[in-house]
Amino acid sequence: MNVQLKKTISIAAMAAGIIGMAAALYMDFSGSASTIRGPLLIAGALLVIAGVYLLPTRKHRSIINVLFLFPLIFAFAVTVLIPFACGIFYSMTDWNGIKFEKFVGLGNYISMFKSNDYIYSFVVTFIFTVINMLAVNLVAFGLALLCTSKVKGRNFYRAAYFIPNLIGGIVLGYVWQFIFNKVMTTVIEGSTSMLTDPNLAIAAILIVSTWQYAGYIMMIYVTGLQSVPKDILEASNVDGANQITTLLKIKVPMIANTFTVCIFLTLVNSFKQFDLNLAITNGAPSRILAGKPVQATEFLALNIYNTAISKNQYALGQTKAVVFFIILAIVSLTQVSISKKKEVEM
Amino acid sequence: MKKKVLAALLAGAMTVTLGACGGNTGSGNDTSKADDNTQGTTDTADVSKDAIRFMNTKIEIDGALKEFAKQYQEETGQEVVIESLGGGVDVNGQLKNYYAAGNMPDIFAFAADSYKSSFKDWLEPLDGESWIDDTDYAFKGEDGKVYGMPFALEGIGLAYNKDILDKAGVDPSALTNINAYKEAFEKIDSMKDELGITSVCAVAAESGQMYWSTGNHMMAAYISQGKDRTDKDIIDKLNKGEIDKDRMGQFGDWLQLLFDYSDQNVLISGTYDDQLALWATGKAAFITQGNWIDPSLPTYEAEFACGLAPAAFMEEDTDGIIVDAPAVWGIYNESDKIDACKEFLKALAESEEGQRALVEDCGMVSPYKSCTLEPSTPLAKSMLPYIKDGKTYAWDWLTQPEGIAQNATGAVFELYAKGQLDKQGFVDTMESVIKDYVASNGSN
Amino acid sequence: MKAQKIRTGIAEIIGVILTIIILAPFLLVVVNSAKSSADIITSPISLPEHWGQIFTNLSNVIHNQNFNYWNSFFSSLLITAVSLLLLTVFSSMAAWVLVRNKTKWSSFIFMLFVSAMVIPFQVVMLPLLSTFRETSNFFGIQMLQSYKGIIFAYLGFGGSMSVFILHGFVKGIPYELEEAAWIDGCSPEGTFFRIIFPLLKPVQVTVLILNGIWIWNDYLLPSLMLGLNGKIKTLPVAVSSFVGSYVKQWDLILSAALLAMIPIIILFLFAQKQIIQGMVDGAIK
Repeated sequence: MNVQLKKTISIAAMAAGIIGMAAALYMDFSGSASTIRGPLLIAGALLVIAGVYLLPTRKHRSIINVLFLFPLIFAFAVTVLIPFACGIFYSMTDWNGIKFEKFVGLGNYISMFKSNDYIYSFVVTFIFTVINMLAVNLVAFGLALLCTSKVKGRNFYRAAYFIPNLIGGIVLGYVWQFIFNKVMTTVIEGSTSMLTDPNLAIAAILIVSTWQYAGYIMMIYVTGLQSVPKDILEASNVDGANQITTLLKIKVPMIANTFTVCIFLTLVNSFKQFDLNLAITNGAPSRILAGKPVQATEFLALNIYNTAISKNQYALGQTKAVVFFIILAIVSLTQVSISKKKEVEM
Repeated sequence: MKKKVLAALLAGAMTVTLGACGGNTGSGNDTSKADDNTQGTTDTADVSKDAIRFMNTKIEIDGALKEFAKQYQEETGQEVVIESLGGGVDVNGQLKNYYAAGNMPDIFAFAADSYKSSFKDWLEPLDGESWIDDTDYAFKGEDGKVYGMPFALEGIGLAYNKDILDKAGVDPSALTNINAYKEAFEKIDSMKDELGITSVCAVAAESGQMYWSTGNHMMAAYISQGKDRTDKDIIDKLNKGEIDKDRMGQFGDWLQLLFDYSDQNVLISGTYDDQLALWATGKAAFITQGNWIDPSLPTYEAEFACGLAPAAFMEEDTDGIIVDAPAVWGIYNESDKIDACKEFLKALAESEEGQRALVEDCGMVSPYKSCTLEPSTPLAKSMLPYIKDGKTYAWDWLTQPEGIAQNATGAVFELYAKGQLDKQGFVDTMESVIKDYVASNGSN
Repeated sequence: MKAQKIRTGIAEIIGVILTIIILAPFLLVVVNSAKSSADIITSPISLPEHWGQIFTNLSNVIHNQNFNYWNSFFSSLLITAVSLLLLTVFSSMAAWVLVRNKTKWSSFIFMLFVSAMVIPFQVVMLPLLSTFRETSNFFGIQMLQSYKGIIFAYLGFGGSMSVFILHGFVKGIPYELEEAAWIDGCSPEGTFFRIIFPLLKPVQVTVLILNGIWIWNDYLLPSLMLGLNGKIKTLPVAVSSFVGSYVKQWDLILSAALLAMIPIIILFLFAQKQIIQGMVDGAIK
């Protein structure tokens, strides 16, 4: 294709695209309800992009750079950056999910920390996160030791233990709800379901969460344990160290990094637990706290969701979400600084 | 967001899920019955311009409505397209989407609470329509004009198994105050083995699963039982965040009585299914549900006689049940065929075919006095004498603050049922959660 | 040596017992999918009387309007496949540009992507919904309850991590390869698609698996963006709305759960190694 023709096509495409977009935007601003304005805008934008791409110029390389970055950054900005910025702003207004009327400063933050349900949810999430982190890591490390021992069929075990992690929390949650409500009450005849008692219901979510997650963390430990050089292990064997000494004195220190990764991974994921929480208990049962009923198993993520979606208090829900983010950011920064320190040491 | 509407429609939605169009479906064991009553049954794109678009929210009457619309078109030439939404759909959200897209249906169903929050400005006044004089249940807006046409009545009370009551020698018509119930419960309880039941009542109060039953339908008794239909005293108070402590105390006694005689497992952890199964298989004499359980009965091969008794929770006699039209049909005020819509609604309300479609084909209780057809389902039938004698109370619970059952009062019922609150605690906690809920919702 | 043998023996027994415990919930699902509702309530742990019941249950669920298995399955498949395709292509492109152009801007953008990995969905979901609603109303581009909207959202949310993983890998590809093509007169886009893109395959598999498992199983995002009862439902959303509407009919719920699990388990049987490897790699990086 000769350059002149290419240039003409390019400019024509850009012009057509701009006209299309302009027409679409005109309709948008003039309040037209025409259904073609959406597709027209998209088509216009695509034409402009095609035109820019075809434009014969020395700066082609720069154009490609921009065009290559554009789709991802555009999606990222629209779905993450802009809502994130809006979200922080909305948390300081009386936003109702559609519009806001006044700026309330830190009012939402104050009323949030005054509400029983949030404080309770905060504490219970914290407890859950810590216990779950310990449980998952202990079980996962144990499983990893088993799967790296000389036991027959260890590859099969690895795959089997990994399976719960493949299925979504929603589906598994309903299955476990069935197990707690129907199976367990039949196995232990005449018992009431664990899910009707506030503390046992939290324990139930812990069990499922550990069950689901341990297989995944196990595989990370397996990878770590396998990276321990064989000659070191052999040497320690020759020196007559027993297995427990080898484990504690050689394997564990050698995979300290893996521990850091796993601990933080489980901390963050336990803290964000939503699907299992929703499907197993959805916050039930209730318990009384300072004279008011609260949802005994409503973790923070569910509390945010219920505040906004069920109770229709969007600004308050958004406020809780911002605090949720801040906590996670602190955890992640801690992780980064710990791994940095380790790298320096090594 | 629209949890309350959902709860309101649950009366219908429950039946949707457990077996379709009630009255004329035989054995309801086939759970995929909603098959031919599909969700978005009509592709709105190919609807001709002259057709009336009718948005139905009770999927179980989809078939009968379509049948009627077909007949109507044959007779009058006016095409009516029925779009039915499945059970549990966020109806208001869907309508708002339609509104935003400039694609509003001409006729749509709405409930009292969504009128207040959403549809006030979209409805055409229907004053002067001839069917208004024929019913006590026409929906009036804040300005006193009629905006909605009722099409079915639902009743809340205490459903009883008449066979069991007969055997125990209990006369259901005497159950008009708490003492009568106490006596009856004691008597039935002492004859448990003879009657083949495991508990007197089937109540389920776990809030996550059952808030819509406890916080709405049981609460309805506190709000309306014994009150004249125009007496909005209790509900107005509730919307201001206040309760009538004395009445709530009596209501607490009533709940305690029901709880004491319930199957404890179902009470604290049972689902709607568990509760229904207990009663429908003849293992309990009473159940705290309304006539919407009718269509589910064939699933359990329940063939006993049954009826609705008043939820008479006070010491004074109250001999009526709580009856209303949970949803009504309204006309979109910017529709270009308002008159045609009015004609169609009129035909549904007044013509014999229309009444037959609603009452016989759909198994619903007609809100029209001139309608002589009777539904064939037992609980619906048992509502008729109450309606005829004017012994009904309004469904004022529908105008409770949105979401209050799910987010506030449901939990109090649960805690009371579990014995974690005593009567005084129940009243106090009710008072404080209602106050808090109204306060937090007012500010948002 | 004897002690060693005993120890392995014990380990083996533990392994088997753990396998049974860990897989028991799945067994319960299969067993109870083959029972009628009444049998499940009375004896949830016994073996079914007629295995044939499983087909009745499954066909009931498949034909159920609320669950609509095939529709949900294909919606999930379409959303996952298209999102993955776009994510892989666009993040490879972006990662390549970010690595090969060492400017202030490129490191800023990269840092933005990396730090955004900390942002939990909860903090953006509510404003995102309103942004999408506004887009639909103002521009007339339907973003909620539409395929393009949800795929676009996955592109935005999956982008950060994908770029992060790919970025590290692109760094390791020698620049000389590109220079050679460049000198031969190959255009930059040609160089990328013909030379770099194929080289990224191993790490793209990681990206595909990580994002694939996430998108396939995701619940919160589709439940908000598609609605629980919208025309389009992904499998998790369909299961959830099914459970909500079928007030605890366990025979149908468990059959639905079984149907939702089958596709991914089949996939796992075929690509076990890659899946485990991919997920572990994603965590470590």
